[in-house]
Amino acid sequence: MLKSYLKLAWKVLWRRRFFTATSLFGISVTLVVLMVATALLDHTFAPMPPEVRQERTLGIFRARFTGPHSTWNSAAGYRMLDRYARNLPGVERMGMVSVPTEVQSYPGGTRVDSTMRRADAEFWRILDFTFVEGGPFTDQDVANGSSVAVINVATRDRFFGGPPAVGRTIEADNQRFRVIGVIENVSTTRPVSSGDVFVPLTTAKTDAYKQEMLGDFFGLLLARSPADFPAVKAELLSRLKSVEMPDRDYDRFFAPAETYFESVASRSFGDRNEERSHPERLWGAMVFVGLLFMLLPTVNLVNLNVSRIMERASEIGVRKAFGASSRTLVGQFVVENLVLTLVGAVIGFVLSAIVLRTISGTGLFPYAHLHINIRVFVYGVGLAVLFGLISGVYPAWRMSRLQPVSALKGATR
Amino acid sequence: MTRHLLKLVWNRKRSNVLIAVEILLSFIVLVGVTTLAVFYVDNYRKPLGYDVENIWTISFEKHAPGRSSVTIESGPEDAAAARKPVDRGFVGQRARIAQLMMSLRDMPEVESVAAAFVTPYSSNTWNSDIEVGGKHHRYGFNAATDDFARTLGLEVTRGRWFSRDDDGAAWTPVVLNERLAQEVFPDKDPIGQFVDEQRPGDSQGPRMRVVGVIREFRKDGEYAAPENFLFNRNRLDDPDVEVQPPNEIVVRVKPGTTAAFEEKAITRLRGAEPEWTFQAEPLTQSRETSHRLWLAPLSAAAVISVFLLIMVAMGLTGVLWLHVTQRTREIGLRRAKGATIVNIQRQLVGEVVVLTSIACLAGVVIIVQFPLLDVFSAVSPMVYGVSVAISLVCIYLLSMACAWVPSRLASAIQPAEALRYE
Repeated sequence: MLKSYLKLAWKVLWRRRFFTATSLFGISVTLVVLMVATALLDHTFAPMPPEVRQERTLGIFRARFTGPHSTWNSAAGYRMLDRYARNLPGVERMGMVSVPTEVQSYPGGTRVDSTMRRADAEFWRILDFTFVEGGPFTDQDVANGSSVAVINVATRDRFFGGPPAVGRTIEADNQRFRVIGVIENVSTTRPVSSGDVFVPLTTAKTDAYKQEMLGDFFGLLLARSPADFPAVKAELLSRLKSVEMPDRDYDRFFAPAETYFESVASRSFGDRNEERSHPERLWGAMVFVGLLFMLLPTVNLVNLNVSRIMERASEIGVRKAFGASSRTLVGQFVVENLVLTLVGAVIGFVLSAIVLRTISGTGLFPYAHLHINIRVFVYGVGLAVLFGLISGVYPAWRMSRLQPVSALKGATR
Repeated sequence: MTRHLLKLVWNRKRSNVLIAVEILLSFIVLVGVTTLAVFYVDNYRKPLGYDVENIWTISFEKHAPGRSSVTIESGPEDAAAARKPVDRGFVGQRARIAQLMMSLRDMPEVESVAAAFVTPYSSNTWNSDIEVGGKHHRYGFNAATDDFARTLGLEVTRGRWFSRDDDGAAWTPVVLNERLAQEVFPDKDPIGQFVDEQRPGDSQGPRMRVVGVIREFRKDGEYAAPENFLFNRNRLDDPDVEVQPPNEIVVRVKPGTTAAFEEKAITRLRGAEPEWTFQAEPLTQSRETSHRLWLAPLSAAAVISVFLLIMVAMGLTGVLWLHVTQRTREIGLRRAKGATIVNIQRQLVGEVVVLTSIACLAGVVIIVQFPLLDVFSAVSPMVYGVSVAISLVCIYLLSMACAWVPSRLASAIQPAEALRYE
């Protein structure tokens, strides 16, 4: 039975080539746009190496002094993290890494731009970098302020033209570092782990950073499980109540522990003086934009399907006259629709893969390797199936309940 | 004729509603993309205010406590609290920056050197507002040294730029751009006017007095909407401990200076101040980076909407085609009664034009809300007007093209053949 349905569907779709092509074009292009957008979002927010323990990692990404008339915003300072964020209950490890700084070097007279980050040794244990050569710097290196560096593959190639790099020296920001490790490139869409040159935070040119409450460090808190998050957040907030104010312009200090997604949400949608972040607002905005985009393709698909079914009124009439039940007819249209949507999905999948590979290749997002998000792909196809059924099968079902004679007469309106 | 067409459209309202919705959505998508494009084109045509060629910006991080890589948004001063000035080491830092600028001036390639808080195309912004005559004026703020106008090639249209003459002044000298001067002083000469009002009870700091007006300073570059701008004078040897040091140095070099200048300059600066971090970039390169950031959303939106419109065009053609085949009998009857092929085509295309007009009317009603409610205050109503006009032309052309193909098909119908079905 199914086989004859499939055969029939194939014949019908092939007979109306222009309409089939239009539907397929619509479905596949919509899927491609959806896939590119979600691939970029995944590349920004979803767990991926080296942030493999992202589910149980909280970050301290922003800190702020506020007063009645003044706000002083920045990343957290070393002193704040060192004094208030260590040994939080439920936290296994606390590491820190500076926000990326652009530094310039001139090896052999040509200019090389790198993003440099200063980190402690815990940073390498919280994240799981893939080392191509050597290894990370140790607690000992950090304590001694050793001039050692971990660089990524791209930086190795820019400085040395290829392996090996371990043991050689690079100049960055007027300082010299001995390379002790080479890691795989990490996409620049990952502000937590992306960087070209990592050096111990104690190699900073002066000790001024040690006194800073606001500065340029991200704190990373590896909790035992996500269930500990509320307790960690609350404990940090209560500890920060005792922070001294730098001068009388300010009366409050605030540096929340939050996931990266939450920090982006509060940057885009948060109220400046509100301590709670609103991840649901960012989710809402993303879903809203996605649905808004899908509106036009959906109306287009519905329009096509409705017209197509109307056109086939007489076919339905004939089939009814020869004794086909409503169920048989509906079954036929469901299969037809599914075949159409699935062919569109396959084309969309292949196109998405090609487009994503092209985007990764252009270097628009340095070091990015974009992938299709299967889950969102399934949702997209699911929506296409849903609207296909509503717009294609529902009118067919209504028509199949007409008297054969009126259907035959073409009573479509 | 129109009434007749309206009746025909109304008779098939159920399927026509869907088509109208589709045209409406396409219209809104088109208006969205063209508004962005027209906005950019409109901004691009306006003067930028500064030179881009032969200028390098050098930013530096001072690695010292109280450094200014943070954004401080200042609000109105608290009147009651007499504040003790806080010494953050600014005087010393400014002196060191003056030294660095001196050592750059010694280089043979260099024509002039200046320092400022904010340089063109940088992502730093500092906004503030003033109240004059009960009206608030928002503006972008920058503090710059006496050589800034010369180094960046700013055009002073009235008055003068800052100079040593301002050293002993009892007021804070400021320079406005034409836009802000026009807004605050629409009918008098701004030179010599005070731009902040002081009421009893306000903290009695020095007042801001206009010494000059410049043509323009569009910090965010060609694609950004022109904004009000106000310059303060930054004096590197100011004894006041609260005057912050600038963040960036700008250098104008002689024409023909090569990129090798950059390494020489950086080496020199690093030698003079080994604890600081320096970063140099030609302004042409900053411009390129900034343009990429501005154009990326437009090109993404344009690519997506082109695909959407192709999809709509195909879909609409298909749907109208089916409608024509369903109306074979009606068309045959009209042909038999003497209607020419042109009559039939005109009727079919006319129906679509009526539908498009209804959809666009609804679309315009929606779009008009944006300027009325001032949703994007940077976008002027003129920009909306132009983009709506462009979109209307496009959408009518699109829908008429989609109707024309099936109407050709309809005109091929032979009356005798069509009526045979009856």
